[in-house]
Amino acid sequence: MTTTMTPTQRSQSAAPSRRARLVPSIVSGLVLGLVGGLLVALIVAQFAHGSRGINQIVVAGYLGWAVFFFIGIGALNYPMRWAFGRTQPTHNEELELAGRGQGPWRYFRFCTDHKVVGIQYLITVFVLFIVGGAAAFLIRLEQSTPGAKFVTPGTYNTIVGVHGLLMIAATIIMITGPFGNFILPIAIGAKDMAFPRLNALSYWLLFAAVPVFLSVFALGGFPTGWTGYAPLADQANAGMDAYAFTIILFGLSVGVSAMNIVVTVITLRAPGMRWNRLPVYVWGWALSVLLGAIAFPSFMLAELLVLSDRVFGTAFFISALGGSQWLYEQLFWFMGHPEVYVIALPSMAVVAEVVSVFSRKPIFSYKAVVGGFVGVAAIAMIVWAHHLFWSGANTPLDGPFMLSTELISIPTGLIFLAIVGTFWRGRIWRSVPLLFALGFVFNFIIGGVTGLYLADVPTDGVFHGGMFVVAHFHFTLVGGMVFGFFAAVYYWFPKLFGRRLNDRLGRAHFWLFEIGFLGTFLPLFYAGEHGEARWQANIPVQFATPNLVSSLFACLLVAAVSIFAYNVISAWRSGPKADTDEWGAKSLEWTVPTPVPLENFERTPVVTGSSYDYGNGVGAQPGRSGSAYPREATAGGATLPSPEP
Amino acid sequence: MTQQGGSTGSDIPTRTASEPENHDLREVLLWWAGLSIIAIAVWVVVSSLLLPKAATADDVFANVTVVVFTALAIPVALFVWVFVGYSLVRHRARVTATAGRPPTEAAPAIVATSGQTIAWLAITGGLCLFLVVWGLFGIYRGAQVPTKHPMIVDATGQQWLWTFRYPHPAPNAQPVTSQELVLPVNHPVQFDVTSLDVLHGFEIRAFGITLDANPGSIIPTEVVTPRKIGDFTVRCVELCGLYHSYMWAPVKVVSESSYIAWLHAASHGSAQGGSST
Repeated sequence: MTTTMTPTQRSQSAAPSRRARLVPSIVSGLVLGLVGGLLVALIVAQFAHGSRGINQIVVAGYLGWAVFFFIGIGALNYPMRWAFGRTQPTHNEELELAGRGQGPWRYFRFCTDHKVVGIQYLITVFVLFIVGGAAAFLIRLEQSTPGAKFVTPGTYNTIVGVHGLLMIAATIIMITGPFGNFILPIAIGAKDMAFPRLNALSYWLLFAAVPVFLSVFALGGFPTGWTGYAPLADQANAGMDAYAFTIILFGLSVGVSAMNIVVTVITLRAPGMRWNRLPVYVWGWALSVLLGAIAFPSFMLAELLVLSDRVFGTAFFISALGGSQWLYEQLFWFMGHPEVYVIALPSMAVVAEVVSVFSRKPIFSYKAVVGGFVGVAAIAMIVWAHHLFWSGANTPLDGPFMLSTELISIPTGLIFLAIVGTFWRGRIWRSVPLLFALGFVFNFIIGGVTGLYLADVPTDGVFHGGMFVVAHFHFTLVGGMVFGFFAAVYYWFPKLFGRRLNDRLGRAHFWLFEIGFLGTFLPLFYAGEHGEARWQANIPVQFATPNLVSSLFACLLVAAVSIFAYNVISAWRSGPKADTDEWGAKSLEWTVPTPVPLENFERTPVVTGSSYDYGNGVGAQPGRSGSAYPREATAGGATLPSPEP
Repeated sequence: MTQQGGSTGSDIPTRTASEPENHDLREVLLWWAGLSIIAIAVWVVVSSLLLPKAATADDVFANVTVVVFTALAIPVALFVWVFVGYSLVRHRARVTATAGRPPTEAAPAIVATSGQTIAWLAITGGLCLFLVVWGLFGIYRGAQVPTKHPMIVDATGQQWLWTFRYPHPAPNAQPVTSQELVLPVNHPVQFDVTSLDVLHGFEIRAFGITLDANPGSIIPTEVVTPRKIGDFTVRCVELCGLYHSYMWAPVKVVSESSYIAWLHAASHGSAQGGSST
């Protein structure tokens, strides 16, 4: 059957078509997914009964949505062809799948071009940030004054959970998604990712998770916050199913993407791109996704068990029936703490890179940075139970987990040593990306130091579950990681879109964001210090002042993000054209033309040196003659064949 | 560190520029030392205003820990900030970037010596070790049992209130249950914490104690001795559903005689209410 089909398919796809094809595309995916999901839900509704009936219907609907969405968007076409006909796609078909000649419509299709996937990730991250940010603003609005004034406590809990999960998901992927897909293959001299179709799959898994998650609002929300603690999760209404199913889809996406990036870095480095010549951000991103791939399955497992409790009536987490809430806590935090380093490593790596580029100096110690990343990633796996100091379980291990948690400050310190040393006696160009890197350095120190109180048992005993924790992790996640994300956006935007962001708007964004950020979260340290608990729809009168101050400063954050959004949109539409090597940087992605052509390089580049040797060839254009890489247009032919023996 | 064969090491002017580098280093270290001393002094004064008043030795220890850790953290944070700030002010690109064009000059390479890296590792490792030892001492402190036999109070969470039960208030007396926690001053007390439904978190900031309330398990807190007469609060610190933010209970530390009077009155009220088993 398939052998007769294949030639027809091949002849269809071999001809480049310029019109927007609706099948397969996002349109057919959405239509088939919605119809399929509804149908499956309706079928299951005929058999579902009892108090779990609604959960059975909802989860069946999500399963139907996921399966039919992927059929509709064409994710299974090539795997099926291969499975039944064992026919390899031709190079032309591969290019077709990578979106050749399809114009902007390729962004709405199952497109394997890593650059398309990167942009898809970036837009999605922006959307998640906007929705999660709106939820954050509602939280600050509600906490601006004592009493449940603006939203009901139930709505408030849902908003807290939506904010938490959206922001965590967004920050996990914010750098390794857009830049790990767009920039990383170019930076190592590859034509695409190792598994282009899995790359597209990882994005569309993420995409498929978003409507599932947003359906919590239709299903009455969920009360647990983003941690989803059982047994409250067992007790919650159908919104909890949406939460659990979202985690499963998102976890699959993270896992697929992670394996792809790791394999790409291992196998597709250009000739001469030795491990010690990789730009540091490649190290940081690859280690981050590797850590995520190890950590995330335990969260997926936890949510599978939650769904099992809720749909089939098992009792993994219900102590009265032989389950254990500690099981959930362990599974969750086994993911939950590595996860913050999954978020941290890419940002730290971006900052190390940006500081080197804009100090016009090699990284103070490449070994320290890479060693620091490896150390952080390794120790990150064994710190999780510091979240359980006061859970009533695990007491004999309090000491060891305190030790491991504080040990992680040593490799983190190495990374900071390298950053400080890179600044030292540089030729510092205070560009907008550098400003955000500076913001990272400033804020993350505060976030890191306040983490020590939470790692140490005596002080955690007064801060656990309080606003101090909230302030601490916002200093790391927002003050550190999101600043690193902004640095990455400002740094690579010219390569991604071929346009320049407005410099003055960028500076306004930075200063408003930094001041707004400090004003929003410093008062919460004070409130938490005095014992204000987290997750409060109704804040106690005692804490009214710090909360009001915090809420007022949050308005600056809204202003800053609005400026950023305006800057991005106006630059994308009509910004000045960017140069090929916009910043005079020396890594490989700055040698390819903008917009980057399909398959990136005409010939595989040959790497002959580190991308940080700014010290050599002083006086020359650092990005030009001093470049370690042959430029495609000029020197590409001259350096082939490889000078390597 | 990854210098290639193509470029010889001779054109790296790292060590030739040692005189201005030493000057810079002296200056930045002075700034760092001066600012650290000032900041620590300010912190020690201000911390007494910022930190809440403690009612037990455990909480005093928690507050002291905050003061000491912050004092240690100040020089570390300032090391990074001062070095970076100094570089920003003194080492700007000489050719200002105009119209978004990259400046053309590059800086001489400065690469970490292994001595610098090892010194840094030793310092951060030493600080880290201090924190761990301090924390272990804290765990040891918390596990100490006072000589006086502690009073045991059951603290039971349910959605969304706390119930306190005094199992044996006096020989032959009925257990007393209450929605407010009344405790005699200077008398050690231990809480047996549990929950009837989902996870709750039992926390009294001024006592320096917190513990999750787990359904199906009764787990004791550390023994604490309230040293101050006054009003405090039990807060739920684990998200427990709809009215989590309303789940708090008053704590009253009173004199021994007031406590006995309250207990007497409460045991009568409790018996009438039929809430005792």
